[in-house]
Amino acid sequence: MAEAEVLAVAGSWVAAMLRSSTPLMMVTLGETLTQRVGIVNLGVEGQMLGGACVGFSAAAATGSPVLGFAAGAAAGLLLSLVHAALCLGCNANQIGSGIAVFTLGLGLSSFFGRGAIGGKVTGLDPLAGSGYVDVPLVGPILTQLTPIAPLAIVIVLVAGAWLYRTRTGLNWRIVGESFQTARALGIRPMLIQTQGILAGGLLSGFAGAILSVDYTQTWADEMTKGRGFVAVGLVIVARWNPFLVLPVTLLFGVCEAATLRLQATGLTLSPYLISCLPYVASVICVIVVSVREGRLGGMPAELASVFGRRS
Amino acid sequence: MSASNIRFIAFIGGSTAFLISASIFLATIGKPPLTTLSQMVYYAFGDSYSLSESLVKATPILLCALAVILPARLGLITVGGEGQLYFGALTGTAIVVGFPTAPMLVLLPVMILAGAAGGAAWSGFAGLLRAHCNVNETISTLLMNYVAVLLVNYVTYGAWKDPASLGWPATMMFPPAAIVPSVFGTRVHAGLIVGIMAAILLHIAVTYTRWGIALRVIAGNRKVAAMAGFGFVKQTIMVMAMGGALAGFAGICETSAIQGRLQAGISVGYGLTGFLVAWLSGQNFLRAVPIAILIGGLIAAGDALQLYSKIPSASATILQGLLFIAALAASGLAGRRTARHG
Repeated sequence: MAEAEVLAVAGSWVAAMLRSSTPLMMVTLGETLTQRVGIVNLGVEGQMLGGACVGFSAAAATGSPVLGFAAGAAAGLLLSLVHAALCLGCNANQIGSGIAVFTLGLGLSSFFGRGAIGGKVTGLDPLAGSGYVDVPLVGPILTQLTPIAPLAIVIVLVAGAWLYRTRTGLNWRIVGESFQTARALGIRPMLIQTQGILAGGLLSGFAGAILSVDYTQTWADEMTKGRGFVAVGLVIVARWNPFLVLPVTLLFGVCEAATLRLQATGLTLSPYLISCLPYVASVICVIVVSVREGRLGGMPAELASVFGRRS
Repeated sequence: MSASNIRFIAFIGGSTAFLISASIFLATIGKPPLTTLSQMVYYAFGDSYSLSESLVKATPILLCALAVILPARLGLITVGGEGQLYFGALTGTAIVVGFPTAPMLVLLPVMILAGAAGGAAWSGFAGLLRAHCNVNETISTLLMNYVAVLLVNYVTYGAWKDPASLGWPATMMFPPAAIVPSVFGTRVHAGLIVGIMAAILLHIAVTYTRWGIALRVIAGNRKVAAMAGFGFVKQTIMVMAMGGALAGFAGICETSAIQGRLQAGISVGYGLTGFLVAWLSGQNFLRAVPIAILIGGLIAAGDALQLYSKIPSASATILQGLLFIAALAASGLAGRRTARHG
């Protein structure tokens, strides 16, 4: 293979990886922030579905992908409000509440999304026009990627810097580590936990809208295919660190891109077996992290009440 | 106020909250709430056919709920019912595909054992990881769900696909010798009986036996448990495997008795629904039985509504979500009050 061809293939691989990682990156970041304040939200899967459905409908109705993203994020926020009300307001079990929110999001998106099935929207324009296709390596990347992927990376970096470098970020980390200490310091833990849940809702709804408006540009029932649940696992792999969310979700994106690309090459291995790859990869990552740390390294201490005592 | 009074008030409050939110939803989609809700009760439990459909739906939910409650006795939170159900269906079907002409007396029990063993292995693996490598069981079971579903897709679209099914992704029809028997001539099958028996036996076992005490001690204090000779590692793997066996059994029953062949999409979220039933029952084996039947009725009524009243089946999922939210809110608030009253 000529060198130019290799570069072109590499470029489109990178583009495919980034495109499929972007939704996962946003939902994993959202769940990371939520878990940082000591709350687990399994409802992110439902929030993503809600965001994908509402975002797609809004983009289709207005013709504006940006409005679609905003509407999707708002939908995720509203659903996460239910989780906040249940586990903070009513003291309900967090895992149960998350699954209830998932069920609600699944039902609502499937009910109200019926009319949108099979529709198409136009997403954002690529970073560069088709004139740049032949530029080595970056050509395919620029022509296949929309601004949403670089934006997502910036959001992750900003969130990480915010969590570790600012005063409010410190407050969030304190709440996740110890409720008692937070209260003693005059921080209102309930308020911050609410913010953490809502931030997760906003990002997961946004992630859903990225999936439907930008990535697939269509809406289908249950189109998130468990990405939200996977995000809950990836938070552990990323050790509750927003910066680590980046490599972890990119790794997942590579697997997903491989699933699509290897099928295209006419490989005889079943696509269903290849699709297992990302899930198997994350289980292996969780095992490696758990064995190396002997416990869940970096886990906010308040999460222990949800994930059971560790010895 | 005593604890049981609080629980009763919570039950009434939760039911009221559910009825109000369900009515608002039905009114929003332009259906008369009271008529539709009473129709649903009729479609769930109104005649023998509705009742049997409700029990059919309740069976896998109950078994998956038991698969959550047993590990919960050790403080383990497993959400892998769905995956265990799928993997059990897969291993059970393997026997049928491998020996389709075997006589019933051999094929049926071996198929059921293989299904249960598959579920046990799938869940036991997560237990093994938890016990030996400290891998969080909630996460591992959650992720393994997707792998099991994809494996079933793999065999039904590939290796075991029946050429006679005209492109439909499914294995061959099970021979009569591999059909789990039904009861009273309805679609309700022996799985329900086994589920109820298992609930009663497990309740007796954890309440009255030495093993039940071991589980309680380990869940309470692992060091004390070790001194008393109760091993965490062994018990973790065991409760996970036993739970998985029940969910795997649910999977092969659903495949054999209800669908008659293995196809993609055996379950409509029975695993996660089972998890919520486990939670609503307060991790109590006996209380899970009526709750599973209630939720089974809700799902069956949703199907019937779609058929007769042209209401999309997704509305049943929404009502289910509202029910869970109301129930969780009520029991959470009640729990806080009981805690305050000691």
